Amino acid sequence: MPPDDAEAQDAIAGDHPFIMQADGRSWLFVPQGLEDGPLPTHYEPHESPFGNPLYSQRANPRRQQFKRPENPYNPVADEPGAELYPYVATTYRLTEHHTAGGMSRTVPYLSELQPAMFCEVSPELAAEAGLEHGGWATIYSSRSAIEARMLVTDRIPPLEIQGRKTHQIGLPYHWGTRGLTTGGAANDLSSIALDPNVHIQEVKAFSVGIKPGRRPRGEALPRFVEEIRERAR
Amino acid sequence: MSALDSYGAEAQERVGFFTDTSVCIGCKACEVACKEWNLVPEDGLVWTGESYDNTSELGANSWRHVAFVEQTEPEVDALRWLMSSDVCKHCTHAACLDVCPTGALFRTEYSTVVVQEDVCNGCGYCVPACPFGVLDKRHLPRKDPPALPLLTKKEDGRVWKCTLCYDRLKGGHEPACAKACPTDSIQFGPLDELRERADKRLEKLQAENWNGARLYGRDPDDGVGGFGAFFLLLDEPEVYGLPPDPVVTTRDLPEMWRTAAIAAGAVVAGVVAAFVGGSR
Repeated sequence: MPPDDAEAQDAIAGDHPFIMQADGRSWLFVPQGLEDGPLPTHYEPHESPFGNPLYSQRANPRRQQFKRPENPYNPVADEPGAELYPYVATTYRLTEHHTAGGMSRTVPYLSELQPAMFCEVSPELAAEAGLEHGGWATIYSSRSAIEARMLVTDRIPPLEIQGRKTHQIGLPYHWGTRGLTTGGAANDLSSIALDPNVHIQEVKAFSVGIKPGRRPRGEALPRFVEEIRERAR
Repeated sequence: MSALDSYGAEAQERVGFFTDTSVCIGCKACEVACKEWNLVPEDGLVWTGESYDNTSELGANSWRHVAFVEQTEPEVDALRWLMSSDVCKHCTHAACLDVCPTGALFRTEYSTVVVQEDVCNGCGYCVPACPFGVLDKRHLPRKDPPALPLLTKKEDGRVWKCTLCYDRLKGGHEPACAKACPTDSIQFGPLDELRERADKRLEKLQAENWNGARLYGRDPDDGVGGFGAFFLLLDEPEVYGLPPDPVVTTRDLPEMWRTAAIAAGAVVAGVVAAFVGGSR
């Protein structure tokens, strides 16, 4: 702990939460500028297989949506076709790469430590969807489909939500088409729906489907995505 | 006379690593810092599917290796993700050093074990001599081909391993991995001090009921005379891919030679006896 009379960055202990504001700390309440809040509540993610158990407003009414042909949204909750995107995907970082990988996939020492796009699922989901550890899987939303190597692990267990067993899919988001290692970009799957305060897209929870094998190539890729979207209508 | 005595006034206090795996977060900063400082080459972009570990083992091109072990514990319905940064143990009795015919492997004034890349001829005797599988020949093109073109081979073929950053020690710095480690899982210092620190840490963990906590390689009476780089593990060494009871592989050599000499003497005596007996 820093001493009481410490100043500037010396006053920030190593275990204090992140650097967001000018004082190097994060704030729960701000004096101005909020579009939404400040009192906490629960909304379901923009794309969620569930309704809101708290009240009838399902997702944040102030979220920014972009209704454009290249940004279709998956059907959600009880809407028809929601069952075609039954799993909850979440994206995250690995320590070896920086954001979408543009600066770290060109570095040999980092690329060799995490050399391929992979996707983490539980043994239960692997059995249900016919996925094999070390093999390929295609993960799809109504925007696109990507392929990834399968890492079957107990670390990503299914969740019991509103009495329903719900599988999670873990996706690191560090890959793309250039660099020493290339691979599917998880950001191709996520939608553009932004929170009203800081305008971050919802990549920590959105709905997807998964099937074994590599993704279709070339013109077959948009056709594959469109076919599932058609079935959802 | 021990190797260290030959250094006379240049001899230094024995230094090493204490790797406390209970605070390892698996960031692999040690692996990267080691490669950056020692110019160890990248050796393949291979995804293994072994949890988050794509290094797999120590080798000529990986002098630090962070193991990731996923354990399910059915009794408590929980999952434990063990992480541990492995490294050359810098054994007190090092078999690699015993078998090296060129003197490329030597005991430094800090009691660490180092390969001199300009002396190593790639014979590979040390590779099977190491009880931990640390020593390994580099199967990559040589970056500094020797002057004589006849000796130039495509493959490097020499043995490379952790030097405990000999060059940094000489300059009064701690090794690169220990410097980079953000949680002080890798601690560098005089070995006696590290052993003391490790004992205290173990005591604390055991008091807090971390059942699996144990020290590995701390004991100077073990099969290799104790490690210069020892560990605090949270389970059996086998779980981390480490031998439970390592023994210096040259331990039985004197006995084997003695037995062979006796057998050879018996053969000679027999032959002599046959001739002496036949001439009668």
